[in-house]
Amino acid sequence: MGGKRRKNDDSDNDEGQKKPEIKKFKREELLPSMIKNKEKRSEIHAKLKRQKKLEKRSKQKARDAAEKRALELGEEIPERMVPRTIENTRELDETICKPDDEELFAGNDADEFSSILKREQTPKILITTSRFNSSRGPDFISDLLSVIPNAHYYKRGTYDLKKIVEYAKNKDFTSVIVVHTNRREPDALLVIGIPDGPTAHFKLSKLVLRKDLKNHGNPTSHKPELVLNNFTTRLGHRVGRLIQSLFPQDPEFKGRRVVTFHNQRDFIFFRHHRYIFETREVKKTDSKGKKDKEGTSETGPERKAIARLQECGPRFTLKLTSLQHGTFDTRGGEYEWVHKPEMDTSRRRFFL
Amino acid sequence: MPRTTTVECPGCPPLRVLTFDTLGLIKIVEARDKQEGGVPKIVERWGEPDSSKSIISVSMIDSKTQPLMAVARKNGQVEVISPINGDLQAIVSNANSKDLQSDENNIVGLHLFAKQNLEVASRSCTLLTCTSKGNANIRSIEFTDLSTESPCNDSSKSWNICSGGNILCCKVDTSEKFALFGGKGVEVNIWDLENCSKIWNAKSPPKNSLGIFTPTWFTSATFLSKDDHKKFVAGTNSHQVRLYDISAQRRPVLSFDFRETPIKALDADIDGYSVYIGNGSGDMASFDIRTGKLLGCFIGKCSGSIRSIVRHPELPVVASCGLDSYLRLWDTNTRQLLSSVFLKQPLMHARFDSSFIVEETPAGAVSLPNKEQTTNKISEEVEASPLKRKKSSKNKENVDGDQRKKKSKRSEEQKKSKGKDGGEKIAKIASRDKGSKSTSKKKSKNSKLAIPDEGL
Repeated sequence: MGGKRRKNDDSDNDEGQKKPEIKKFKREELLPSMIKNKEKRSEIHAKLKRQKKLEKRSKQKARDAAEKRALELGEEIPERMVPRTIENTRELDETICKPDDEELFAGNDADEFSSILKREQTPKILITTSRFNSSRGPDFISDLLSVIPNAHYYKRGTYDLKKIVEYAKNKDFTSVIVVHTNRREPDALLVIGIPDGPTAHFKLSKLVLRKDLKNHGNPTSHKPELVLNNFTTRLGHRVGRLIQSLFPQDPEFKGRRVVTFHNQRDFIFFRHHRYIFETREVKKTDSKGKKDKEGTSETGPERKAIARLQECGPRFTLKLTSLQHGTFDTRGGEYEWVHKPEMDTSRRRFFL
Repeated sequence: MPRTTTVECPGCPPLRVLTFDTLGLIKIVEARDKQEGGVPKIVERWGEPDSSKSIISVSMIDSKTQPLMAVARKNGQVEVISPINGDLQAIVSNANSKDLQSDENNIVGLHLFAKQNLEVASRSCTLLTCTSKGNANIRSIEFTDLSTESPCNDSSKSWNICSGGNILCCKVDTSEKFALFGGKGVEVNIWDLENCSKIWNAKSPPKNSLGIFTPTWFTSATFLSKDDHKKFVAGTNSHQVRLYDISAQRRPVLSFDFRETPIKALDADIDGYSVYIGNGSGDMASFDIRTGKLLGCFIGKCSGSIRSIVRHPELPVVASCGLDSYLRLWDTNTRQLLSSVFLKQPLMHARFDSSFIVEETPAGAVSLPNKEQTTNKISEEVEASPLKRKKSSKNKENVDGDQRKKKSKRSEEQKKSKGKDGGEKIAKIASRDKGSKSTSKKKSKNSKLAIPDEGL
């Protein structure tokens, strides 16, 4: 008891001493976590928080004002602050491709896809499934068939994959895609480059079929344009080329069809769109940037060309688990890259 | 919580490595001095990128007086190059077997004879080549001054190793009298090079309990010790490592499995019993071949198939390279990554140039025997405080993560045996007995503190 009382006394004394301090250095010295009394602590914490909020708001206001003034005076607009994200603070990777690397281009010329990408060969794709296939698997394949031109579906039957690869070699296919289904849900994609190309094994997730998309469009049979985003490292470059070799290299722009593979944090997002350019009247009370653009274009003060997108085709996400040298061979295969748990040393480390 | 900082590599002692890649480039990596942390850098690049000149096999005479290197390329040419400045000494092409070249008849085995080279004047060399179809050939080449195509002498001997199958590995022992061949569908066999006769042939292991016979497919082989051609280790495509002893039996004396992908590279340590194994998914480990037990794995960010492992002839360093286009240098004792160099192309081979001496350091330092060198190196690193050294090494082991207790025990034993730490051991014992000196107390405390660290 005596001890307790003494403690209380102490704390009282402390607060007595601190009170003038609070008034003196409100911001610097006293952290709310140092106060033992909960009411006081929460009070001060709330105060601090409010103060911070106000500060933030005033800063933002000042920034906006500066920008406005710069716009009015025709000066250079002050640079906007860039938020720090995981991607732009990614760990430095020495394997990132540089545009002036002659060895990279020499390597590109020597790799397995160069004949397709130089249009010496047209891609011809064989699509097949795992042994057991039902429900969403066939639907996904029919979607894929409409996305990839010159793709042919073959029933898997009970053939070994090595036999299928052999068959594809004889029939002059350039790639084999195997859709693996588990519990009636496609969960993996295997892309095999045919004569001696690499084998990429992807995990497939977040699959949304065309029929499940709201307001989806129906693609035409034109050859699509291909967008490959953010494949920066050597491995990414290689995977990008593998994906590129699935599509014909001469898109028909008339079809206004785009297939996008967007890499973000090692996840490859697949989207398939139709686009259209429209001229539309724009209201005058719009944001400043648009106004500025109008001023420069000077076609018409109230008309503006915009692009509209309509999503069609499936939507899914791929993640690379391994890239194998040569065609499919699980027992005797050599890997160019395998994901191992010990490589996940940091969340800011990406491989593609 | 994942670690957010990268692991610092401690850097490596001064050394020079030559790497050979699929675009036919030869890159020279040198680690120079301690002051810069021993970070290896690409110093030179020989050759122009050309996929038809992809390097298949390499042989190097690693001597101080007359270093020489032979490189077999995909287009069937064999180039003899000076490893010091990259000067082309001679080119040999298999003109007679050009038609066979088209259907994958690459030169998979290549050996430059060092001894004969020393005896004869420096204007010629002797080469053993072996194609994947099994045509072996020994010939001597004279260097001509303007060598575009140097003629080989009439003294060439050629013979056929196998009728079917593909030769994948070829090794010549240090006495250079015997050669070992093996491959897909070819059991390992040993040839006497002087009179070109097969002296020994392995027998395939019996069927397993299910009656299934694993097809013969040797991917790599190496002789175990320098002065003995009787024992060798071979790795198979079915992830098995086998020890053969010629004098004992034709079946493997010992065999064990390593992981799930084919063994792609093998190299023996200079101590004569530990071997380094690399496989198709980029795992690397060292085994004690006397017992077949795992000594430890080399843990790093190695993600591509390992194509070549080389042990430095003097320093305790192992180099590995492979399809992930990194050259990695490891410490053999701690199995810790010393440093890695990104070389842009999938690498086929790496070789050490042991005669490399940095000008700043005294010339004797590099050529010192192994153990002294290591202790020197360590003492250089942290001379001031031996206590710190102990701790830091512990930490590094922790960072490695996968180091098991057994392993760390072993490495401790190794350290203790090194004499320098022997003193510490004695001190520990003394402190346990009496606790007399303050310094010894500190040391013992430190070691006690370090033990829970290890447990983590």
